[in-house]
Amino acid sequence: MSTTSQKHRDFVAEPMGDKPVTALSGIGEALGQKLEDQGFDKASVVLGQFLLLKKDSEMFTDWLKDASGANSRQAGSCAQCLKEWCDAFL
Amino acid sequence: MPFVEDPAQLSKTRLKSDLVAHNVELPPAASKKEVYVELHLKHIDHKNTADFSSDDEDPVQDVEKKQKESQDSEVPDPRRLTDDDLKAALLQHGVKAGPIVASTRALYEKKLRKLLQCDGHDGLNGAEHKAVLYSDSEEEEEEEEEEEEEEEEEEGEGGVDEEEKEADSEQEQQETAEEPEQIQQQSTELPPEPVKGILKDFIPDTKTTPTGIYATSRRPIKGAAQRPIQYAYPDTPVSPMTLERREVERHLVPIQIQILVFIALAFILYFIYVNVEDSSSVLALLDSFNQWSDSEEGVLPQVMTQDTQSVSGQD
Repeated sequence: MSTTSQKHRDFVAEPMGDKPVTALSGIGEALGQKLEDQGFDKASVVLGQFLLLKKDSEMFTDWLKDASGANSRQAGSCAQCLKEWCDAFL
Repeated sequence: MPFVEDPAQLSKTRLKSDLVAHNVELPPAASKKEVYVELHLKHIDHKNTADFSSDDEDPVQDVEKKQKESQDSEVPDPRRLTDDDLKAALLQHGVKAGPIVASTRALYEKKLRKLLQCDGHDGLNGAEHKAVLYSDSEEEEEEEEEEEEEEEEEEGEGGVDEEEKEADSEQEQQETAEEPEQIQQQSTELPPEPVKGILKDFIPDTKTTPTGIYATSRRPIKGAAQRPIQYAYPDTPVSPMTLERREVERHLVPIQIQILVFIALAFILYFIYVNVEDSSSVLALLDSFNQWSDSEEGVLPQVMTQDTQSVSGQD
């Protein structure tokens, strides 16, 4: 899939384990910091939020935009990343 | 006269908005008109007759009160609802909500508000609004509200003004939210068409259609209908097991030859099996075998003796 980034591919290729939030596709340093401030310090916690929202990408992107100030592209990328991870490992 | 006396002649949505304007609890969304008429008669007419002289003031007061309380015209403020009520309200609108926890509550409240707005808009101006909603332009919401305002002016009802103001404040909120995004995205309408907005957000390349109907093909089911599962990362190396197996196979006897040998052996074994069962045929077979072997041997000596005889005969 040429539309996915390397970060996306890396994340989806294996169980996330203890990876930090910044390992998520679309989440860089700044956004990662904001999420950590809110208590989402690991990618798995963000996954928890994604699952709480019943894996609904739309709701998750809304939440992410509110929580971290991500734009649509970044939030969409993160949602897509998590969704694929769930498809593969959950 | 601004207020029609006979509730039965009013439309259902008009009844709804009247009820809300007088702070009457609304029945569930799918109730029949009679329920609304009843409530209307019970509460409003009673009230109207009581303070007929202050009719003009009531709507204004209600509007102000409403504005302070909430932005919704139908159901009590989502913020005031309990978790269960919020979930039920969402379910009424066909949204299956997940658990309503601290982190998800705000989201679901927002969603409920969006849905209520949609209901309000649809109630006023169903067909026209849909047409406007589906049109693709960034000015969509402003157009929508302009139309709303026009309609409201035509109707000239005080009770509807609150929705106009509500729509304006909502527009402001959306504009501030949209500003940072507008730079990056073409069109960023979040409500009232969440489906379209998100589609654009996810797939920036979607072509905008005049009708606003977007047809995206469903992602095909993996492994179904002769669609082989294409793993997303085809460049991953072949597993070592496969490599080993290939190596071994190269050195072993090919399968075809193995099958032939197997059939031959089976044939022989079948013969033996038949022999064991039937002794007479065994003898016959044995005899035939002997004859066959004898005949070969016999032929030769016979030939030889004949030859020798002939040779001797000739001599």
